[in-house]
Amino acid sequence: MTSITILDDAHATEADATVDGDRVLVAASDFAAATGWVLKPEGLCRGEVCVPVRSRPDAVADGRVDAAAVAPLLARTALVDAPRGVVAYAAAATAVSDALADRRAADFTLPQLDGTPFTFSAIGRKKKLLVVWASW
Amino acid sequence: MHAELAPLGFTVVAVALDEADAAREWIEAAAPTYPCVIDADHVVAERYGFINVPTAIWIDEDNRIVRPPDTTPANDLFKDFTGIDSSVHHDQLRAWVRDGTLPLPLDAVAENQNPPTDADQLARLHRRVGAFLRRRGDDAGAGEHLARAGELAPWDWTIQRGGMPLTGRDPFGQEFFDFVGAWNEAGAPGYKWGNAALRRDLATGD
Repeated sequence: MTSITILDDAHATEADATVDGDRVLVAASDFAAATGWVLKPEGLCRGEVCVPVRSRPDAVADGRVDAAAVAPLLARTALVDAPRGVVAYAAAATAVSDALADRRAADFTLPQLDGTPFTFSAIGRKKKLLVVWASW
Repeated sequence: MHAELAPLGFTVVAVALDEADAAREWIEAAAPTYPCVIDADHVVAERYGFINVPTAIWIDEDNRIVRPPDTTPANDLFKDFTGIDSSVHHDQLRAWVRDGTLPLPLDAVAENQNPPTDADQLARLHRRVGAFLRRRGDDAGAGEHLARAGELAPWDWTIQRGGMPLTGRDPFGQEFFDFVGAWNEAGAPGYKWGNAALRRDLATGD
């Protein structure tokens, strides 16, 4: 077992994993801590939602989750850099495209300058101008 | 703008596609009364298909998008360069907040989004891993991932220009101007509704 970093949205979580060539198998409990998806007999579950894993037998093995193979089941895109011990997830292009075609605004939680987390949906019933900017 | 419209049930949310240390002096100088968040991992760009800054999108009380993403400078500092008159957006914003008037019908709002391709999302992941490796002190790894991100999404300014300070390059230097030249030659690819003249026509009803 070796220690890797999982980047899920803005969260970086350390996880125990087995690295076999380009394949990264993450301990299920650490995968849950990093992504919120818990391995149960019925599949991978987050809250009320469960995704069966039978269609991708390579996604789960011996209580471990294949970091790359599991991504499509969760509507995510994965990038695995096995030699550097980094796994990163983003929303799959289809999931984002569906939301935008439906004009659904994605929620997000990000830190303010003092580190306090801010959740977009907590604004509630207001009109919102979402502006992105940068110093570069 | 925020102070003028906030009493009418409105707020700005500003997202810095930056490392916290790079954004700090700007936020402190602006001393904003609206929420400002730091998005070093470009999560908001990934979820909304944003490819440049400054970009704005309007979101209503029910969390539905009612104006597509668009390049929206806060002022006219770069008007000669961008051709964008900031007052057009600001007048549209006032009309929306005051009486709900929208500059585009809702079906056109859906059609003028900037949905990502698989390559776009993979590019954003390479950029994210590159930024993470740089924070960890692995400049070689950061350079490798940022270069791959640029190959996958060559006209995404958040990746190309935004990646420059992450690899010790100057985002206001010759390399940036070379990038702008190539981007212009490629037809200045950007937001579908990112045309100042079109916005002016719609705003004035011409």
